[in-house]
Amino acid sequence: MGQGTRDTGHIQSLHTEMLLDEYHENLPIFKKMETVVMNRLRACLEEKKIYVAGLESRIKTEKSLSGKLELKGQKYSTLEDITDILGVRIITFYSDEVDLISALVEKLFDIDWDNSVDKRKMLETDRFGYLSLHYVCRIPASMCTDPAMPQLNQLRFELQMRSTLQHVWANMYHDLGYKTEVEIPVEYQRSMSRLAGLLELVDEQFIQIRKEITDYRRHVQSMVANGNFDEVPLNADTFRGYLNLKPFKRLADKIAAINQAEIYEDNLMPYCHILLLMGMRTIGDLVRMYNDCNEGAYQLALIQLAGTGLDIVASSVVMQNLCIVFVLKKGFGEAGLVRLFDLLYGTSEYNEQRAKRVFEQAQKINLIGCL
Amino acid sequence: MEVNINKENGKTLVKLDGRIDTTNAERFQNDICPLMEGDDLDIDIDCSGMTYTSSQGLRAFLMLQKKLMARGGKLVMRNMQPMVKEVFDITGFSNIITIL
Repeated sequence: MGQGTRDTGHIQSLHTEMLLDEYHENLPIFKKMETVVMNRLRACLEEKKIYVAGLESRIKTEKSLSGKLELKGQKYSTLEDITDILGVRIITFYSDEVDLISALVEKLFDIDWDNSVDKRKMLETDRFGYLSLHYVCRIPASMCTDPAMPQLNQLRFELQMRSTLQHVWANMYHDLGYKTEVEIPVEYQRSMSRLAGLLELVDEQFIQIRKEITDYRRHVQSMVANGNFDEVPLNADTFRGYLNLKPFKRLADKIAAINQAEIYEDNLMPYCHILLLMGMRTIGDLVRMYNDCNEGAYQLALIQLAGTGLDIVASSVVMQNLCIVFVLKKGFGEAGLVRLFDLLYGTSEYNEQRAKRVFEQAQKINLIGCL
Repeated sequence: MEVNINKENGKTLVKLDGRIDTTNAERFQNDICPLMEGDDLDIDIDCSGMTYTSSQGLRAFLMLQKKLMARGGKLVMRNMQPMVKEVFDITGFSNIITIL
């Protein structure tokens, strides 16, 4: 090895040491930046009610930074030139949400456009591979300042945005030990590209399915709202839409009035499954059940609650009593009630005792087998 | 009403004995207050010794459940006597709280 090569190596080593010293000095600032960025992103996503599959961050370790400097240390004069010491990643459910998230990020942070890159647009139309949007950002002074840490608004961080499936592909790629596409052996490049293409198709299919489901929900909501109940199949979407019309409010109020009780609005959705098992196929079937059973449901509540002084009831007591009365009017008797309670609360010996008690109460108010 | 709180394998075990009624509901609420604000996420209440609960008791259980769920936790009540279980049934609270 010649004197010149030894000198160059020595200078490089000194340069790396200098950058690593700078890294250690600035570590508390990067930690503060990480907290500020993550808290702001979390708050913003929550405020806008945007649900993401993942929000993660990491500060580059000394080992990882050393490796990077070893490979391309001469590229960086100071630590400020390295933009990914703090890295943040937002993983969306759908690929089309990446643009929505990026618009949000642009409003929150100062973007260094010269160093930001949309990898989605870098691939030729006939190539498949890494798809992700990378922004290099700074924390604006309007978001957070600290006189003791002026670098808080000077140092940059990298924010990556990609869909879950894009993330899966990138993770698998990384797990194989490759950082860039050119490093992978040629014979495997085609396999990885093929998988990237497949996942891109799956991403598009998910977006299409989401659109169709949204259209379907709008359609059935309008059918429910228009009162075409017999044409509306009973399922979770239509049941939810029907509940929005508050069809059981009158009965709930009537039951609450027994003890001047407060009504706690709980979730009635678990009853959708029960109604389907009881043979209901349309919202029209549910309307008929209500019309046939609501007086019995009230009478049952009256015999159970009157005189107890219990002044709080869950709104689901309406559905519970309607189902009980329906089962009894259909002639399924005590055994039918046990089955109903097993479905609602899980099997237990207590359900038999309860069925017996409710059956006796129902006999007193002539509810049995008259539908 | 006696409230005994113990921790076992990261789970908070609560044992209730006696009646919750108008005379002691406020004290009961105070007794379980630490469970609502502590680090406990999984709370298991043994109700084998509980002989009655009034509406105030139901409200306290509901509040506890809501606080736990907001933090990703869970409330389970077990070994309820039939007379107490009936209170939960006829008010619809069996639909809200997990009773084993």
